[in-house]
Amino acid sequence: MRRATKTSVCLILFGCALVVAGFARSAAQTTAESAAPPVTEPLVQRGRLLVLTHACSECHGGNDNPAADGWLAGVRSPDMEFKIGPCAVTPGATPCFTTRPRNLTPDNMTGLGRFSERQIFNALRYGLRPEDTADVTITSNTPGQGNFPANPKYLAPPMPWPSWRHMPDADLWAIAAYLKYGVKPVHNRVEDSEGPPDFWASEYTVEKIGPYPATPFPSGREGFTRASVPTR
Amino acid sequence: MSVRRLGVSTLFVAVWTASSFGQPTAPPRTVELTLTAAATHLSLVPGVTTEVYAYNGTVPGPTLEFREGDRVIVHFRNNLPQPSTIHWHGLHVPAAMDGSPFNAIAPGGHYDYVFTIPRGAAGTYWYHPHPDQITGLQVAKGLYGAIVVRAPDDPLPASLPESVLLLSDNRFLPDGSIDIPPPDSPQGRVDFENGREGDVLFVNGRILPTLAIRSGEVQRWRFINASGARVYRLALAGQTFLQVGSDGGLFEHPVEVKEILLAVGERAEVLVRGTGPPGSRAVLQTLPYDRYIPQTRPADWNEAHDLLTLQYTDEPAVAPIALPAELRAVPALDPSKATTTRVVTLSQGFLNGKVMDMSRVDVSASLGATEIWEIENLVGLDHPFHMHGFQFQVLDRDGVPEPYRAWKDTVNVPKHESVRIIVRYDDFPGKWMYHCHILAHEDAGMMGVLEVK
Repeated sequence: MRRATKTSVCLILFGCALVVAGFARSAAQTTAESAAPPVTEPLVQRGRLLVLTHACSECHGGNDNPAADGWLAGVRSPDMEFKIGPCAVTPGATPCFTTRPRNLTPDNMTGLGRFSERQIFNALRYGLRPEDTADVTITSNTPGQGNFPANPKYLAPPMPWPSWRHMPDADLWAIAAYLKYGVKPVHNRVEDSEGPPDFWASEYTVEKIGPYPATPFPSGREGFTRASVPTR
Repeated sequence: MSVRRLGVSTLFVAVWTASSFGQPTAPPRTVELTLTAAATHLSLVPGVTTEVYAYNGTVPGPTLEFREGDRVIVHFRNNLPQPSTIHWHGLHVPAAMDGSPFNAIAPGGHYDYVFTIPRGAAGTYWYHPHPDQITGLQVAKGLYGAIVVRAPDDPLPASLPESVLLLSDNRFLPDGSIDIPPPDSPQGRVDFENGREGDVLFVNGRILPTLAIRSGEVQRWRFINASGARVYRLALAGQTFLQVGSDGGLFEHPVEVKEILLAVGERAEVLVRGTGPPGSRAVLQTLPYDRYIPQTRPADWNEAHDLLTLQYTDEPAVAPIALPAELRAVPALDPSKATTTRVVTLSQGFLNGKVMDMSRVDVSASLGATEIWEIENLVGLDHPFHMHGFQFQVLDRDGVPEPYRAWKDTVNVPKHESVRIIVRYDDFPGKWMYHCHILAHEDAGMMGVLEVK
């Protein structure tokens, strides 16, 4: 499973241009606060289900078993690391970046403990690294507008946020609630992931990952007519 | 003597007041001077001239020498094309005199900074502008200078030759102009990430200067890190330093150290023993230090850089001088007296996930209160944390108790580590800044407002 993911990511990033990006003082635009919902056990349980069904633990630790040692605690051995770039196919080829699934437990110094649910939400919806993104409600997908950072810094591959951003808000809040309040903190410092100086911005353009929200159904490649469904 | 040899001008304009109060060796006096910030042209690197911003026409600005108890009046004239201030980094002065972004002086404007140097404040400080969002630019263009505060009862022998070593770095374009790329350019973005580092290293505005020492002699050096982002890991090959002080003055006892890690804004006072033979030389270097995140770590981060040549004279060695084992008392701030423990998280450009807003108060505290601040660095890049107005003491770093007590106003918080400090707001109500002293981060809003009332 992990090996397959490595290869696909490598192909996506083959020949990537290393455009530089950084943080800038983000627009202090006033937006209506859409706060996280009240944390309840059903919400946490819903988050747990989503974490299980989205395979979070296959990279972040625990291998689909919440009772397993290292559940969501991040990299604990080198075989949990990824090689991103052509080197995943051809050893020695460049660029080559080692990325490491982070500790998702609510430990303060090594996990998500000091990040808000909103920062976790923004990571899943927009791919924005919590440590590089203000704790604010984002109301735009355009860099520099609606609190979207002027120079966005994205989670390292192979984190599949471009797919998961399409989950409904309620699901993302549920995942955030589970990670913050449904998991016991594990102190496990994961070494920082490597990456290009643009923090993958040139890889996560609309041209490469499509828009959010997705083009409404039916796009030009989709369609549905009742007549096309065989009679059962 | 060494100070002059290294090319630092010392501004020492004192107007003695008629007063019989005070200690016989250092009666209170009024020191009055003018600092004018203006654009000018200087030769900072060989062969070209550079447009700089300078205090009184020099880079660095003049070294200011005060005594404990001095009443200081600085007439500041802002002849820059943009707002500016003078922040007296580390000095305990009233909030209105702190030169913070709250009190920016408009272009063409002027302001009188008036304050009294407290007893016990003897030490090494520095001054620099602190306007909102353009501090890094103004420091990069040359606005910074050293401050030395002397005590009437300094325990170290007055005979020790003394040098201020003001460390800075800069980057230049081929035509000599200072390389400040647009913020949205690739280099501009790296400069935001790491803070802006330069490849030309200066000591007192000079490149690899030579400092003379006599064999056997002991010299007193005052290091100041006035860079925008660079952390110095100072070492003198083959010998140790006897560190006697840091930001807020002397320690209780000298401490033998092999090297000194000096983050932006920090100071260190050391004794250097001339252990080399007559005619020999030694080089002060800054050793590699990985303060960086992987994404923007410079390719040459692991190279050492020469800063200064220490040239031994041909004179025969002098006899050893006796150095005191005790320096002064540094009374401990008592954690059991702390009324609050606050958590400040550091991430890339944010304190506690927020960008600074001058209309917001982030921390409200009572005058006279003692507090513990737990400063947690959540990211893989060191952040030097600076608190205005009040000297603090470090309690522990990542849970390891601080080995000796010192007054600090700036402390490096290494990547993914935490530092606990204790501070007492003993006087001076008002609004104070606390921030990351990587100037690009500070300018990006990695700053908070502490209101003491």
